[in-house]
Amino acid sequence: MSQATLGPSPAAALIRRLGRRLEVRMLALASVVFVGLSLASPFFLQTNNLLNLLDQSVVTGIVSIGMTFVILTGGIDLSVGSVLGFTAVLMGLTMPHYGIPAGIAVAVVSGGAIGLFSGFLVARFGLASFVVTLGVMAIGRSLAYITSGQNSISDIPPAINNLVYTSILGVPSNVATLLVLYVLSWLYLSFTKGGRTIYAIGSNAEAARTAGLNVLAYSVLPYVISGALSAVAGILLSAQILSIDPLAGTALELDAIAAVVIGGASLYGGRGSIIGTLIGVLIMVMIRNGLNLLGVSPFWQGSAIGGIIIAAVLVERLVSTRVRA
Amino acid sequence: MVMPAPRVDAAPAPLLVARGIDKTFDRTRALIGADLRLDAGEVHGLLGANGAGKSTLSRVISGHVRRDRGEIAWRGIALDARNAREAIGAGIVMVTQETSLAPDLSVLENIFLPELALPGRLRYGALRQRARDILNSLGQESALPLDMEVRALSIAQRQLVEIAKALAQDASLIIFDEPTASLSPGEVERLFDVMTRLRADGRALVFVSHRLEEVFAITDCVTVMREGRTVTQSVPTATLTQSDLVRLMVGQDLARAQYRRAAAAAGDRTRVLEVRHLRAAPMVRDVSFTLHEGEILGLGGLVGAGRSETLEAIFGLRRPDSGEIRLHGRQFTPRRPVAAIRAGIGFVPEDRRGQSIVPDFSVRENLLLGHLSAHRGFGLGYRARDRRVADLLRQLDLRSDRLLDVSMLNFSGGMQQKIIIARWLLLEPRVLLLDEPTKGVDIGTRSSIYAILRDAADRGAAVLVVSSDFEELLGLCERIVVMSDGTSIAELESDVLDETKLTMFAAPRSSMEITSQLLRTLAGETGGAAYWVLLDSERLFCLARAGGDGDADPGFAAGATPRIGDTRIPTALAADAGHFVAEPGGARRTLLVRVQSHRGHELGWIGLTVAGTSTPDPAAIAQRVHEQFARAA
Repeated sequence: MSQATLGPSPAAALIRRLGRRLEVRMLALASVVFVGLSLASPFFLQTNNLLNLLDQSVVTGIVSIGMTFVILTGGIDLSVGSVLGFTAVLMGLTMPHYGIPAGIAVAVVSGGAIGLFSGFLVARFGLASFVVTLGVMAIGRSLAYITSGQNSISDIPPAINNLVYTSILGVPSNVATLLVLYVLSWLYLSFTKGGRTIYAIGSNAEAARTAGLNVLAYSVLPYVISGALSAVAGILLSAQILSIDPLAGTALELDAIAAVVIGGASLYGGRGSIIGTLIGVLIMVMIRNGLNLLGVSPFWQGSAIGGIIIAAVLVERLVSTRVRA
Repeated sequence: MVMPAPRVDAAPAPLLVARGIDKTFDRTRALIGADLRLDAGEVHGLLGANGAGKSTLSRVISGHVRRDRGEIAWRGIALDARNAREAIGAGIVMVTQETSLAPDLSVLENIFLPELALPGRLRYGALRQRARDILNSLGQESALPLDMEVRALSIAQRQLVEIAKALAQDASLIIFDEPTASLSPGEVERLFDVMTRLRADGRALVFVSHRLEEVFAITDCVTVMREGRTVTQSVPTATLTQSDLVRLMVGQDLARAQYRRAAAAAGDRTRVLEVRHLRAAPMVRDVSFTLHEGEILGLGGLVGAGRSETLEAIFGLRRPDSGEIRLHGRQFTPRRPVAAIRAGIGFVPEDRRGQSIVPDFSVRENLLLGHLSAHRGFGLGYRARDRRVADLLRQLDLRSDRLLDVSMLNFSGGMQQKIIIARWLLLEPRVLLLDEPTKGVDIGTRSSIYAILRDAADRGAAVLVVSSDFEELLGLCERIVVMSDGTSIAELESDVLDETKLTMFAAPRSSMEITSQLLRTLAGETGGAAYWVLLDSERLFCLARAGGDGDADPGFAAGATPRIGDTRIPTALAADAGHFVAEPGGARRTLLVRVQSHRGHELGWIGLTVAGTSTPDPAAIAQRVHEQFARAA
């Protein structure tokens, strides 16, 4: 049977097919924001400002990768901000004695371990991820205060600054790290058994279990990734400002969840993409940046971001043709 | 057969007339101009194969779903119930399988649940009295403790609560949607008693079922649906035969043995899966059977008999407490499904939407999900399966351009099921386990699923099918293992069986306890063997047996189906006498007492074989047996 070519031109069909892809819709939204801000503010398109945009995306962007993994399984990780703060303090305490690599290792391993703890409680005992990570969030922040003695740590080796400002092919290393992590996560989620299992769990955990997939391990893994990446974000943040505050990362979870949701992921799990999340992060950062450039009071920015989150979810619900159970 | 003309409308106006009802779910046209008319004081059978639309029509009438088009007249006035509450207000109630009861509330509170929503104080004393009156009117005053939590009730009792609830609302039309699916024969009889009383009260009852013998036992007239349309409306049941009904439901004569092979002698085939005394509390108690290469074996029984749980234990989804599973002769205890999959086992669970389909995956990824878990690499390895996927698609009649469709939910239930079965066929399994493989599958696709399973078996797979549809089991499987209350009680060859015998074997042990006790008492008192058997012209089917060693041994055990000539009491079995009959040689004497339920349903024979010349009084024994059966029902 031959495929009859009726109706609209191939170009229109292509656009419609692309429009079905979530990332494409989000990219269109990001472009609209981008063009809008370029028109509204003469400073927006300047090279310095664009580099600044990417620089501002690093912390939220890296944390949002982990958040995407967790949300894809249908969970949520509220502890990312306090894990960032706590692991950064641990790094700050380690580094003066054992050096920079040891400090980084301590931060990443302890971030991963905290994620393992939350993930195990959620996956093994079926506890609500919201509640478990809420508890871990409180514990993490409290430990950050205790271990730091309630003070900022500023006696960290200045050489750590190289983690951020080394130029790799003209791109600052922190931005390069961000991009590399996004590419790796995208490859993992799209082309590996583990990645597809994470999607399957979020879409229908019972079907994944009955089909023989390792539901327990791949339900825990996203929390480990989220914890470890929170630590990575904390490392880059500390390296940038050469100071570690036990308050670092406060309310970061909200930005990360917002980025993932704007990026089109479903909080029920199973749907969403890492590229979408990156676009979501960029949209948020652009709006923050643009509002600053336009001289909008920082107090109004919360309303703007909040409004965009709600609008993004509403539009996605209306556009998405499928009805979820 | 001559098609009887539809009943000519004589006297009273019909209670309900539904005309030209259309209903489409997503892309499935569930109802296409369906018609139904109901009169007061009748039990109306609503029949059809799976997917014919009988449940949808019931749900439209009872307000659970809204129709797209068509008219419903209730007592001559147009009715447009927007939800179940409005339909209940008009006097239409549906009693479903998944009951709408609140499990944590008491029986009394459930019966009057709709009244809890009314303003004002509840007067429990008055409610209690009304509940007693209702149960009295059903002849079931002692069957329901009013203060018990519904959670603790049996399915049959819950049904009774639903009926009482309907009566508390003074419903004049009660729709029973497959009410007997989980009931034992005794419980079915009690339900029919209740339905008879409701009819005598002048209420209209709709009985949705695909068990034909029940349709003949209880309904006054039937409406048959096929593929969303009404094919025959309000024909008196008495004018039809069973094969008439089958033809109306299916649209053709179904050659029953189409997909069945003759059972080969057990020794001729390689044993693939052996299950011995498997126990996985609470549902699986003692299950044993052997599955051979190239065979389709049925696992029959009522809903709740532990069949699904048995499959889950074999597949590693449920940890056995004790017993043994051997695969290809070697001990096999899968701790997780992936172990079973890598050992060559595939499992198609009952709940397609809940346990099989990953809704956010494309058809291709759904098809490859079993591969994904069997795959040992870090990547996906999808490419390696491309050729086999293409082969399977041809076999399934699925166009390859639909492989990348974003959601499986847009396909019909039958196509979804074929894709899920193909998920396992892709791995070329040695053992394929299927739980209710044609549930929610239209009649046309059913036969292609049977063909797929037969083909898999012919290629050497051992196939185990769980089904509550005995017709299906008899048409598909060479042998059937019957389970009841978590125990495998008989292993039977399909050739010698029919639906009625299978139903008797499948009765829950708990409902047979009184009978078993009687058998034990008789055996104990006389020192002989007491047993409950069904007989046809050639064979004996032993449902239960107690006692009897040595000379008194009648030559068959519970679950056995020997030829009459192969038993040790052929003379007595052939005689049909009201007294003890001695076998030639005089070593043993046998009395057979015919038993039936108080509704006249044939329940086979109770037999007593004693050694030597001792002769208990046959009349006294017959009397005791009859008394016992009257009480049991």
